Amino acid sequence: MGPSLRSRLLRATARPILLLLGLLGLVLFSPLIGPVPIPWQQGLSILFHQTTGGFLGGSDCSGMVPAPRCAIWVEIVWGARVPAVLLAVLVGAALGLSGGALQGVFRNPLADPFLLGLSSGATLGAAAAFAVTFGLVSAGKLSGGEQALLLPGAAFAGGLVPGLVVLLAALRRTRATGTLLLTGVSLNFLFSAALSIMMLYYQRIDIQVTFWLLGGFTLANWTNDGLVLSVLLVAGLAIVLHGRVLNLLQLGEEVAQSLGSDPPRVIRRVVLLATVTTAIAVAFAGIIGFVGLVGPHIVRRMVGFDYRRVLPLSAAAGAAFLLVAWDVAQVVIPNVVIPVGIPTAVVGSMFFLYLLYRRTPSSGRPGASG
Amino acid sequence: MIELVELDQLVARYGDTTALRSVSLRLRTGELVALAGPNGSGKSTLFRVIVGLVPMAEGRATLAGRPLLALPFLTRAQQVSWMPQEEAEGDDLEVGDYVRYGRNPYLGSLLPEPDPDPGAVERALSASGTQELVRRNVRQLSGGERQRVRLARVLAQETPLVLLDEPTAHLDIAHQLEVLERVRAVAHRMDRCVVVALHDLNLAARFADRIIVLSHGQKVADGVPDAVLSTSLLRQVWGVEAELRRGTRERVPYLIPRLPPVEGPTPEKGARGRRVHVVAGGGSGQEILRRLFDAGYDLTVGALPLFDSDSELAEELGLPLVLEVPFAPLSAETLARLATLLSRAEFVVVAAFPVGPTNLANLEAVERTGEAGRVLLMAQRGEPPWDYTGGRATAVRARLLRAGARELTGTSELLGALSEPRGQASEGQGPTA
Repeated sequence: MGPSLRSRLLRATARPILLLLGLLGLVLFSPLIGPVPIPWQQGLSILFHQTTGGFLGGSDCSGMVPAPRCAIWVEIVWGARVPAVLLAVLVGAALGLSGGALQGVFRNPLADPFLLGLSSGATLGAAAAFAVTFGLVSAGKLSGGEQALLLPGAAFAGGLVPGLVVLLAALRRTRATGTLLLTGVSLNFLFSAALSIMMLYYQRIDIQVTFWLLGGFTLANWTNDGLVLSVLLVAGLAIVLHGRVLNLLQLGEEVAQSLGSDPPRVIRRVVLLATVTTAIAVAFAGIIGFVGLVGPHIVRRMVGFDYRRVLPLSAAAGAAFLLVAWDVAQVVIPNVVIPVGIPTAVVGSMFFLYLLYRRTPSSGRPGASG
Repeated sequence: MIELVELDQLVARYGDTTALRSVSLRLRTGELVALAGPNGSGKSTLFRVIVGLVPMAEGRATLAGRPLLALPFLTRAQQVSWMPQEEAEGDDLEVGDYVRYGRNPYLGSLLPEPDPDPGAVERALSASGTQELVRRNVRQLSGGERQRVRLARVLAQETPLVLLDEPTAHLDIAHQLEVLERVRAVAHRMDRCVVVALHDLNLAARFADRIIVLSHGQKVADGVPDAVLSTSLLRQVWGVEAELRRGTRERVPYLIPRLPPVEGPTPEKGARGRRVHVVAGGGSGQEILRRLFDAGYDLTVGALPLFDSDSELAEELGLPLVLEVPFAPLSAETLARLATLLSRAEFVVVAAFPVGPTNLANLEAVERTGEAGRVLLMAQRGEPPWDYTGGRATAVRARLLRAGARELTGTSELLGALSEPRGQASEGQGPTA
């Protein structure tokens, strides 16, 4: 009747290991591609040389190509591609984890940080910071470079604002798919209206700010990656620790409470942590949709519904999904890198429609309809 | 058996509605308590207050001497477990994992701690009879399996107080009995206090050590089933008329709601207040008594031996009845009481019962009271195997018929004869006395 021992083992260990190996492979593969053609042999040897610090012998490309070209290649692979790949991993992990956590809180598999409007605040935060500092830059008190440094911080702060609305929705036990999505749509409209006003006043703003609207990894460097990593480590680990209480929450808040948890507190904490996790990702990579939807779904297909496993693996699946999207974005049109948000949106929105229409009335939860 | 829960003048409100008004009760370990009451009487609310889902507006609730609601969530979940009436469907889970959720109160709040009692899940599965379901998906269980699995989750919590809200809802009778049997075993063998909200009073009487009845948020009865179950309680709390019977072997009381008859015009026009005496026995009066009772006649019955099926029916219907010890001749006192009832009756119906030496006295009493025109004899079928008196019974019947009694076939004909005006009946039939 039930699944055999073999398929249980497959679920419990083999598939997660496969996922992690796949992610590792993508991490090694992705720095080898990009708009500048660098032979993969040289790319690999640069990677190997840099990661081992040259201690294990081998060399970078200097033996194979002229030194100046080699230096440029090293700069491209190690200075640009690897940080971008790492940022993609971190952002994908953050969004996947955040999506998984929000789905658990709302008991709705269609919850996603982007669809809930959680990422809409970041652009506005960056724009607001730009507007505020505009005068200082004009007066020469602040350099354009210094201003550019301020913007991710402002984007992060702005990204926290919609979290309050989402928290309100969560505490009011809003679980209907329609309500959740409309909350996101309203937030997106509200923030884009505010953004439009700012764009009218400050003409140069769109050059600075469109980055957050499109999403991408141009801000990737070792410092920024480290910043994202440190926030993600703290908030992400805290989210993962809530796996067991999120499991209980699926039985309904009342049952969860009778089993010794404090649902409103769990909801507050997890939504807050998911907001922080999303905000740090959006602050440095802009709005990238659907990663939080696709990642957890892949994981549930693989390992089932236990949030103790779904949450950490959603991070891995989100990272893998975003890396694939990033690779596609770099090669789909020769010599052009399209914004990474385009492939994720194409795949993600189709996937979303599939999920939306596949759900027959009987497969919807009691809560999903009302 | 120790005193576990003490509720003192508990009041609970939802907004403006008072769901519980001053409920006080005590619960002990080792007992199965049934909580009964109509829909909306406060059963579920009482549970929710104890679990901490509905705030207590007034009153006191202590568990083992400590204020129950002051306990932190995790500690309280080690004391009280609760199975709600309805539950979110939840995710695709294996039964084993679902039941393990019951161990949550012992696993720390966030950082996972090892289960201090690794055998608890196994015990819960065996007490609920769900061991063989462990690997099944909770979404693919039948109704009966699902209730047992939910019970297992609650039992895995290993709390001294177990609250089950309608655990038998949506179950067929076999599964109802099975679940309650298991629940009773938990209370008695594991020394827990189990409170079960039940709609079915008969199941409550059959399984519970004690029944507490709530009505409009107040406790209206609390005691052993024998003391609590009564027709007046059912009328007062549920507004339902019922008959109270007792199981023959275990003497467990049970109630049968009195239903309107399925066919026939009821009550019969002009039947109310008209006195009819029925002489029956051995089941010959079953249909007559029911039909006349439903039609609204004022019935008296007798004389009948104790434990006769007709006398039991008469008792259930609450009819005045002349009883006699089985297989004994009618005593002088019995005959006197029978004569009184016969003389007061407007009609006397003699059912088609086999007549032997002991109940021949019934027929003779009918003859002695005279006024044969009001006597309605149900036709005996066939030749006298029914007459075990050597022809004496046949002779009495013949004399009665000659004196103006009528012989009728079937209950419908009887109802027809009863509804005719008196005078006409005797004139049409009676030759001469």
